[in-house]
Formats: sequence, structure tokens, C-alpha cells
Amino acid sequence: MATKQPELTVDMMGVRRTSRWFVLQYRAAPYLFVSPFLILFATFGVYPIGKSLMLSFYVTNGPKSAVFVGLENFRFMLSDPDFHTAVWNTAVFAFWSVFLQLPLSLGLALLLNSIWMKGRELLRLAFFSPNLLGQVFVGVLFSVLFIPQYGLVNRFLHFLAGIPLDTKWLANPDLVMPALVLTSLWMYVGFNMIYFLAALQAVDRDLYEAATVDGANAWYQFWAVTLPGIKPVAVFVLVMSTIGSFQLFELPWIMLNNSAGPDQAGLTVVMYLYQTGFVAGDLGYAATVGWSLALGVLMISLFQMRVTGAWKGGAD
Amino acid sequence: MRFPYGSAALSMLVLSVLSGVWLALNPVKKPEATLVMWTFAKTHYDAYKQALPAFEKKHPGVKVDLQLVSWQAVTSRLQAAFLSDLDVPDLVEVEISAAGSFFRGPLKDVGFRDLTDRIKESGLYDRMVQARFAPYTSRGRIFGLPHDVHPVMIAYRRDLFEQLGIDPNTIKTWDDFIRVGRKVTIPGKRYMLELPDSESSRFEPLLYQRGGGLFDPEGNCTMDNEIAVETMLFYVPLVAGPNRIASDLGGGQIFTKAVEDGYFLCMIAPDWRSKTIEVDVPKMKGKMALMPLPAVSPGGRRTSTWGGTMIGITRHCKNPDLAWELALHLYLNKEDLAQRFRDTNILPPLKEAWDHPAYNEPRPYWSNQPLGKMYAELAPHVPFQYTSPFVTTAKGKLSEALVACVQYYRSYGERGFEEFVRKRLKQSADEVRRLMRRNPY
Repeated sequence: MATKQPELTVDMMGVRRTSRWFVLQYRAAPYLFVSPFLILFATFGVYPIGKSLMLSFYVTNGPKSAVFVGLENFRFMLSDPDFHTAVWNTAVFAFWSVFLQLPLSLGLALLLNSIWMKGRELLRLAFFSPNLLGQVFVGVLFSVLFIPQYGLVNRFLHFLAGIPLDTKWLANPDLVMPALVLTSLWMYVGFNMIYFLAALQAVDRDLYEAATVDGANAWYQFWAVTLPGIKPVAVFVLVMSTIGSFQLFELPWIMLNNSAGPDQAGLTVVMYLYQTGFVAGDLGYAATVGWSLALGVLMISLFQMRVTGAWKGGAD
Repeated sequence: MRFPYGSAALSMLVLSVLSGVWLALNPVKKPEATLVMWTFAKTHYDAYKQALPAFEKKHPGVKVDLQLVSWQAVTSRLQAAFLSDLDVPDLVEVEISAAGSFFRGPLKDVGFRDLTDRIKESGLYDRMVQARFAPYTSRGRIFGLPHDVHPVMIAYRRDLFEQLGIDPNTIKTWDDFIRVGRKVTIPGKRYMLELPDSESSRFEPLLYQRGGGLFDPEGNCTMDNEIAVETMLFYVPLVAGPNRIASDLGGGQIFTKAVEDGYFLCMIAPDWRSKTIEVDVPKMKGKMALMPLPAVSPGGRRTSTWGGTMIGITRHCKNPDLAWELALHLYLNKEDLAQRFRDTNILPPLKEAWDHPAYNEPRPYWSNQPLGKMYAELAPHVPFQYTSPFVTTAKGKLSEALVACVQYYRSYGERGFEEFVRKRLKQSADEVRRLMRRNPY
């Protein structure tokens, strides 16, 4: 009795294979390769997202008790003064992050992109290096720099402008936000500068030469050549900085000694979420805050993309 | 046979299969402990490590896995463990300000076991300072055994007091204290007392001293009652305005420098903080001393309380009797407690333990004062400190009210101050009550 021979076929690389084995692996292999990601994403992404959405409709008291309340958490949130404080603080921080940090980053990038600038590599490393440190480390470092009476910031400002040595940056509600913004500037200006620098280096030099021939001065070249050339990166940096600012947590948490600071001056939305969920134990309300944050950030990002033209592909 | 997606993909596949198989064949070994216990204080951890061999010897075959968990992390880790029912310890030490948040929801759903009957039946309720059960009690049920009493005294620079001609024995009331403080305070250079103007950690002991608190025994928010108003009216002028005698710079190295420089003459010092001062400001050995807290009025209470820890047995614990025995072993052994007092300065709540000679030993750092005896004499007068699941929120709201009152006082002084204090405290209390009303249980 003759045994059935496996059917032979030739693949794209000209290798002969048995057809059943080839067909099987041809069909299954892609799923096999994406399955680790899918399993992990479903377990640690989709499930928690779904669970948190469900939780946002419950009032939870500790880990075991949950009562369905429909939209009550959302209604409560809208009249919650602490949530309002958190949103306001976060928005203020985001505003200063965008309107101080990005121009500074761009300025530094322009400086380092100048052909007459000496020691660019060293300066690039110096400006970027704060970002190599974690937020926790930076938080500890600046909480020491900002201490009253003996801190370097106060000593310097006392010498420079005569401000009182016992100025309490982290214990005065009016000074907490400036301290956080300053710290954040130190940490992230260099990071965003790298993006701008890469974008600047990609702008065609011929355009500058043509502009010079046409009689455009440096300022007009910046508006007419540089800015349009770096627009896609600028939009990206703008959106990412805004999202990052709305996720602010570690820096104030460390600098303000695991608290929201005096008069909740350092309370951010993520910090409020953490306090509500893991300190007060109300996971349902924390989920509501989390979903509101996610929707808020999404809307702001879409708005920014629309305003900057990226939504219509204008940033490409 | 060639792999159709290239050698790189094949390498990744082989690597993932091999590592998966290796992990499956070599699972992480869980410590084979009979009881798992978490503590957040390094000093407790070191002391318990020494005490555990005796317990394990007494119970052959029993192994206790003691874990040191950062105090910042212990609350969130425990909440997460309760939620997931994974890696829940059998016993946990919880800091007083976090304890209340674990008592949320119906009693049957509290993550800790109800220890009321065990405590009452064993006579511990009478043998320990009763006030210290209050912070770990919810709706009349006790969920934790107190680790400490934490009576409060005033630590002061004895050498500077002598130089300035201050006799601590003449300071019996806060009025006496303020009178002296106004004489010796030099704004920006020297203050009579270390007190913060931006958070309520030291406001609370002064509130308790007057018999007030954030909550009453039934869990009602009381942070805007008459005692709270009186305390705020007393506290704010100490830290703000032209006659202030108190300031605050922060903890750690700056505190060390401030004490060494004589920036502060006095500090609120519960027993645990006396050890912190010893460790953080070693150069002041022999130059420091302690005195009772000044009374609100002549003959009044000369102490208060600040801080605390409980040990609780979780519902997850499969052997609660053994866990209870371990808790008693760690909290009641007189010799261990005496040694622990020598190491940490923390007075245990077990009254009969205070007879041990360790509590009478003179302490060179504190100008040879018998630290234990002094704290023990005050311990029976420590005020009750009631809690609620909303205690962390209430503390935050009290801090907010304090900051607002300080800002008002700086701007307007005494003009309309009392009315503002009442209004601001009520606003904070109402926010807490609003959250409490949301509670459907």
C-alpha cells in the first residue's frame, strides 16, 4: 500500500515545504507573535479600563463594599471643591509648562543650532541631563533647595534681591505653584529642547539661503522658514507637554512631603485621584476622577491639534 | 527548513519559549511562613526581629515572616491587598492617621478582625491606657491593639534657657509660656517654639489637650465646635502676626541646624520625637531637657498626644489565635518593652510595664532626666482621640482652615478674626460632613 506523500510547495524565498505545515504556520504565526501583547494588554489594559469604568458608577467603602449609584459620582464631582482645586492647580501648572517651558526649550534649541555656538555637544548634554534623573530624585533635591533660612534658593535670592531668608516656598500657598513650575522647568526644558533641536536640524538650509537672497531678516526667517519647518514637532511637543502636565503627581507629592501642600496649593488631579482611592479608600469616586481626567486630556489634545492645524494634516 | 519570518523573529520566539519554560519549572518560592507581619517603622522592625526567636521557640514549627514596609506605602499596599485578596499579611502595624480609613463600610467588611472581645476578656482594656484604644475603635468595636501612648512634653534647650534666665518650673500655663516667649523671641533669628503655620500636625495635639478633636465617639465631625474655635484663636497668634513666638522650618537636616543654632528654643515632643531629636541633633547631648506641656488653665492637663500605631489582625489571617499570641508577645513582654523603651524612648501603653527600672534611668542627652518616669507620669492623662474613616480628609480640611486663618490674621489682625475662624472651621467641617453624607452605609 502506497503512503500518501505530503504535497510540496515553494514559498516566496524558493524554499520547498510541506504544504500542511506551511499553511498552519503561515496562518498561526502572526497570532502567536501578537498574542503575548494581546494577552498582556487585555489583562493589564482592557480589563482595568473596563473595571474602572464600572467602578465609576459605584460608591465604594473600602475594598469589599460597593453600592451602585448611577451618575451620582459624576454629579458629586461637579460640586466637589477639592476636585475644582485640583483641576485649577493642574491647569495652572499646564499653562505655565506650555507657555514658559516650550518657548525656553525652543530658544535653547535655536541657540544650540547656531553655527557660531561653541561646545554645543557639552551644552546639549548639560541641558538634557536633568531629565536623566527621576522625578522623585528631583523632588527631593528641590525640596532641599527651597528650604527656608538655609536653602540655596533663598540664600541666592536674599543676596540678589533681598528677599527674606525665611521665605517658605513649600509652606506658603502662594509660592507652591511657582516652586513646582521652576522645578519642572529645570527638569523638562532640556528634554523638549532635544525635540526642537532635531526638528531644526531637519529644516532645509537651502530655504534659509533663498530667504536671505530675498532679503528676509533673521526674525522673518524664523517666522517664515523655521516655525513652519518645525511645526509637526512643535505640535507633538505641545500635546505631549500638556498631557504630561495633566498627569503631574510625583513631583509635588515628594516636594510637599506626601501631601497636597498648604491650603491644597499643590493638589493635582492625579494626586486627588490617588488620595481618594488609596488613602481614603473610595475607589469608585477615584475611578470617576480618573475617567474625567482622561476625557479632559483627550478633549484638550483634540482642541490643540485642531487649533494648530494638525487635525487636518496641516502639521505634516 | 528555514523560518519564514526570519532569524530575528525565530530568536525572539525561541527566547520567549525557553524563558517561559524556565520560569514555569522554577517558580518563585514563597516564604514558608506561618504568619506574615508588616511593620512600617525601622525601630519596631529591629525590636521585633530580636523578639521573634523566643516566640518561634515557644511555638515549634511556627515561622514568622516580618516585613518592613515603607510607612508611605503601607496604606496603599494594604488597601490593594485587601481589594485583591492577594498577599494580605496576617498582622499589620498601621499608623494612627491611616487607621481610620480602614474602618470604612459595614463592620463585617472591615479588613481587620474585631478584637474587642479578646481585649476585654484578657483584661487588656484595663491594663492598658484606655484612651489609646479610641483611635482604633469604630462603632464601638476595637480593631487594633495600641503600640504606644505618645504623651507630649516640651523639649527645650536647657543651656539657652539658663543663659536667658528662664526657669522652666515657673512655666505652668500657656499664658506663662507666651509671656516668656515674647521676651526671648527675636523675629527671623530666634523663636520660643517650633510650630508650623501651614499644616495642622501640631495644632491637633493642642486641640486634644483642650478636650477637643476631629470627631466625637460616635464619629460625628466636631472640628468646628467651640473647643476647636478656642484652639484656633490661641494657635494662630503664636505663628502669625506681630507678636508671634513660633516658627517652623521643616524636618531633617534643617531641623538639626535650627536646633543647634538656637533658632528654636522649644519643641513639642512626644516620646517618639525625643528619640528623633536625640538622633537628628546629637551635638545637643546634655543641653536639652523636657518639661510638661503648659496647661490651658491653672491645674489643667499638662500633656496631650501626637502620633501612634496599632497592630491589627487581618480577616485574611487563617490562624487568628496564633496571630493574637504573637501580638501579645510583641506588645506585652515587660523585658522586651523595657529594652524597646531604651532603644526608642516609646512608652508602652501597658501600665504595669512602667515599674521596670528602665523607665527610671537618667538620660544623659536629656540632662540626666528620667525620661520614662516623666512620660509615664503624664500617660494616664493623655486625652482620647476618636477617629472616623474620614480622618485623613478631616486632617486635610483642618490644615486648610489653619492656613486660611493664618492668612487672615496676617492681613487683618484681630479685626473680625474670631468670626472668620468660626466661619472657616465650619466650612471645613461642612466639607467633611458632605463627604460623610455620601456614605450609603
